[in-house]
Amino acid sequence: MPDRSTATRPGLAPAVLAPVALALAAAALVWVAPEMLDTFSVNVLTRSLLYAALAVTVDLLWGFTGILTFGQAAFFGAGAYATAIVLTHLGSSPAWVLAALALSVLVPMALGALVGWLSFHHGSTPLYASVISLVFPIVVTQLVYSGGEWTGSSSGLVGYDTLPLDLPGFFRLAGIFAVLVALGAWVFVRSDAGKLLVAVRDNDARCSYLGISPTRVSALLTVALAGVAGLTGFLFAQASGVVAPENTGFLFGTELVIWVALGGRGTVLGPVLGAVAIDYAGATLSGDLPFLWQLILGSAFVVVIILLPDGLAGAIRRGWTRVNARRDAAAPAVVALPAAGAAAGGAEPLLVVTGLGKRYGSLSVLDGIDLAVRPGELVSLVGPNGAGKTTLMRCLSDGTEPYQGSVQVAGRNTRGMTPERIVALGLGRKFQVASVFDSLSVADCLRLARAARDRPSPLGAAATLRLPAASLDILRLTGLDTALVTPVRLLSHGQRQALELAMVVALEPKLILLDEPTAGLTKAERTTIGTILRRLTADLGCAAVLVEHDLDFVREISTRVVVLHGGRLVLDGTVAEVVDSDLVRAVYAGAAHA
Amino acid sequence: MLILLDVVTTAAILFIVSAGLLAIFGVLKIINFAHGAWLTVGAYCAVVAARLGLNPWAALPLAFAVGAALGTVAEWLIIRPLYRRPLDAILATWGLGIVIGQLITLAFGRDVQITPNLLGGTVALFGLDYSLYRLFAVLAAVLIGGSCAALLEGTRLGLKARAVIMNEALARALGIDTARVRLATFAIGAGLSALAGVLLTPLTSVDPNMGVAWLIGAFMLVMVAGGSFAALAVACLVFGAVQVLVSTFVSPILGSISVAVLAAVVLRISPRGFARA
Repeated sequence: MPDRSTATRPGLAPAVLAPVALALAAAALVWVAPEMLDTFSVNVLTRSLLYAALAVTVDLLWGFTGILTFGQAAFFGAGAYATAIVLTHLGSSPAWVLAALALSVLVPMALGALVGWLSFHHGSTPLYASVISLVFPIVVTQLVYSGGEWTGSSSGLVGYDTLPLDLPGFFRLAGIFAVLVALGAWVFVRSDAGKLLVAVRDNDARCSYLGISPTRVSALLTVALAGVAGLTGFLFAQASGVVAPENTGFLFGTELVIWVALGGRGTVLGPVLGAVAIDYAGATLSGDLPFLWQLILGSAFVVVIILLPDGLAGAIRRGWTRVNARRDAAAPAVVALPAAGAAAGGAEPLLVVTGLGKRYGSLSVLDGIDLAVRPGELVSLVGPNGAGKTTLMRCLSDGTEPYQGSVQVAGRNTRGMTPERIVALGLGRKFQVASVFDSLSVADCLRLARAARDRPSPLGAAATLRLPAASLDILRLTGLDTALVTPVRLLSHGQRQALELAMVVALEPKLILLDEPTAGLTKAERTTIGTILRRLTADLGCAAVLVEHDLDFVREISTRVVVLHGGRLVLDGTVAEVVDSDLVRAVYAGAAHA
Repeated sequence: MLILLDVVTTAAILFIVSAGLLAIFGVLKIINFAHGAWLTVGAYCAVVAARLGLNPWAALPLAFAVGAALGTVAEWLIIRPLYRRPLDAILATWGLGIVIGQLITLAFGRDVQITPNLLGGTVALFGLDYSLYRLFAVLAAVLIGGSCAALLEGTRLGLKARAVIMNEALARALGIDTARVRLATFAIGAGLSALAGVLLTPLTSVDPNMGVAWLIGAFMLVMVAGGSFAALAVACLVFGAVQVLVSTFVSPILGSISVAVLAAVVLRISPRGFARA
């Protein structure tokens, strides 16, 4: 996780300041470097610097968001070819150069939209996205080969008019561009919006249930970075004066991944240095020992993947934080939002389930469930293990589950809706095992829970964190309010449960589904959660459906109890009616045998 | 008729090339991106066998043994630490492929090698003169598929492998040494890949990078097949047909990418591919 030590004071400026200072120094270095290097080095490093910018885009996708991609090579190649084709076949007047510039960004972005649509859909796996990113450069390369005169086929395009710059000029252009891309990436990943990438990598299901579409985040990122790669391709076509099919290919895509892996995925500087160092060293050494160099590089790659998954930069950073006690980022000031005036009970039901059934092959898990939950109600769902409680919760919150019957949330039929769309209708779901973001801090998790309502800044970390009062209460009662900067992976089991509940409540849901929120908690923690749930329903007019095994807890807080047994709803009534019924004793406590 | 023969023989070749990759993916859920390197190793076993003056057919058992031995070492050193990181396993095996490719280059040079024909000539069939070797490939595919099925259905290792496929945690709890099942599976898969490399020698030129060209097609077929040899056979027939038809009637270049594109689309529409239970 990036160090956010500068994001202490109000405003966004300090978070941007340190990277900008470093970027200025790097830019100055790039500016004077051509004076000190020989022509060969200037030539090679111009290319290396452009590759470094490309490596940063690979890192944003793979290192930060967890999407292993080989496709950036193809976007790069598409941008380079768009440029070369315009300059070769259409003209090289300033107007055509501008057209080439525009096309070199827009064509890859359009391709990126296609790749994004193919790669990311509800239920798609990371492996599938990698598969697409593998096929895509192969397709582009073959299209280039079959492009005849337009693409120059296997010999590529050469001899078109480039920008009127000399060798050092192109070097500086490439260098400044690489610095800008790295700076942009650095500022973005340290910002609140940048945390979305890590959130998608850590736990895409939780993202969905916070109303953030992980597929949308991934697809938008793909499109945006396709544009950056295309722009890099434009500069490459200008600086090198030649484009060839290898520039678009899958093998180049794997080289990019190797540079990022060796440099350090999940850091910004690692891939930059990795790309520059390896590409330059490769150009220098491969003349003398071509196969040996590849052999060393391949071996280093294998070793780093197995032993140092976050690369050299990651290893250095870990060593650094071990020596220097981590300066904790200051916690954002928590601000309570005014409570939304909730409608009192008696209004239209928030949840209506009619004839819900679910089968796995010949096994019927749920059958003919009818249930309506109104605002202000706290309905406990009890039943023995295997009764279908968790399955029911899943059908209520994910319309893409195949089921019979209908589910309405806030008056809308949810069939076919992804969880994020149902969350937008006002549903919040807490899982049985706390589902949070392990690589982020408590404050980051809470801010992501608000991301669908308060757009996070892509430039910096906001100094305040606005949360609904109920969410704040949970933090106070569990002591999490003093642990806002603590990484989530260090929290205890009870704290994780509380954090997830606080995140769900921060969504300001009208209907909350909770799957055993008290499992494994202490008596005190259970009481706290009970208090909060009663306040949410009785005072704020939410509706809650609670799966619970602890009958005492159920008796204490519920307004209604529903018994699920063998996939059917067998009882639905007040606490007294249900908890003391013979049936519940029989199926639940085994009292019938007593 | 010629097209039908081309479809069947192309499918058979695709099946031969993919079988080793599928065996590994089916049980280990790991994509062996060094598959291309194993194909190359197998092909160079044919080269070595020829240099030693052995019968060309002796290259087959030699390649299987060398491939399996290398597979054992690779599983132990590289694959085992990465079972929980499948995407990293793709990368590490890709790196391994680079290493193997460069070692072969250092040993044999990067020139194209000539290997003796396993089976030459043509045979008259349905009024056509058809390559005898391509017809033999169909037989080889059936033999490989059949022996894999027999291994999986009829032996103790196969039973354990199926247990690992279905529920690894349970298999381990029942006392199955899952680490050994994986090692054996990887070795057999690698051996099959090397065997396929020998079988490819009459059809393609032998050079240090020959495997990469076959890797993507095999990879896509395995993704579509999921983990089942029957599904792989169906996928090879369907995609082989598409490849032959597109190459014949549209363009050979588009034919060469048709398998990859079609597989990507199939997976988009039906994520489980052809592997429906």
